[in-house]
Amino acid sequence: MSILLSLFLKLSAFSLVAFGGVNALLPVLLNLAVNQEHWIDLQTFSDYFAIAQAAPGPNFMTVTLLGWHIYGVIGALVATLAISWPSSILIYYLQRFILGIKDPHKKQSIQYAAAALAIGLVLSSAWEIALQINHGLAAYALTLATIAFTLFTRWHPLYFIVLGAVLGLFGFI
Amino acid sequence: MSGFGGVLPWARRTLVERDKILSSEEFSAILGICQIVPGPNIVNLAVCVGSRFAGAKGAFASVMGLTLGPITLVMLLAVLYDHYSYLDSVKGVLRGISAVGVGLIASTGFKMLRDEFRYPAMLLVVIITILAACYFHLGLGWVVLIASPLALVLAWKKAHRL
Repeated sequence: MSILLSLFLKLSAFSLVAFGGVNALLPVLLNLAVNQEHWIDLQTFSDYFAIAQAAPGPNFMTVTLLGWHIYGVIGALVATLAISWPSSILIYYLQRFILGIKDPHKKQSIQYAAAALAIGLVLSSAWEIALQINHGLAAYALTLATIAFTLFTRWHPLYFIVLGAVLGLFGFI
Repeated sequence: MSGFGGVLPWARRTLVERDKILSSEEFSAILGICQIVPGPNIVNLAVCVGSRFAGAKGAFASVMGLTLGPITLVMLLAVLYDHYSYLDSVKGVLRGISAVGVGLIASTGFKMLRDEFRYPAMLLVVIITILAACYFHLGLGWVVLIASPLALVLAWKKAHRL
């Protein structure tokens, strides 16, 4: 029970510092779960990241799977709830506040500023996760190819997931 | 349930590129608000878009609609993983997928970056954020504290320029 409480409290606190969303949080989450609390080893964490990416659904599923690993179904639900509730309440009111601003320049400014920060945080996180999870040149090449093709074509992301799975299956990655 | 590869690229594709419910800049802005507020940005996005159409009920409905199915499915996958993770082929598949997953996250960032070239000074904020996070390894809260004053000043200028 105490591990469940610890999971809930730590993830709830994370929800309040998870600027840039769970994707931006992944390197921090990895550090907490693998290095500090020893809830999970790096390989399993990486695999859960892959499952969360491959499964249809939001990518905070890495957190759900972490909860699952620690305490089964209850752990999964507790982890998901913990990472979501503080920020959901915050965004609900903050969004109304921002939409309620009458001065269009002020509103635009907040949105432009937030967008710029988000871009920086998402790119940083991608970089740091790549360093933790990618092993070998082939993995980096695949990551770069995914970036290039998603930027310059309109292919559905699923194709790249399938391509990655097939390349991995035959031992290229 | 069709959010393969994370919902973010899919959400952008559906809301902006296909249905054109939101413009690219609106999407970046809403996502920006959702990402500046800590927490899972897709849940935040669901709260934002849902409450825009139907208030608190809409927010609750879109969060539940977005999460319950996938959570169930992902736990089934976890059971499979527990049974078959020793297989080399499974390990390989997961390595391949995670390499692609990282790329998908990065490309979401790069797609949003395109809009910033209309006001290049803003790129300075992006660069500072990345340096603070990746080179100086500051905590996320600090990164935001350091970068946000400049972001607000430049955003104020950008809002008056465009």
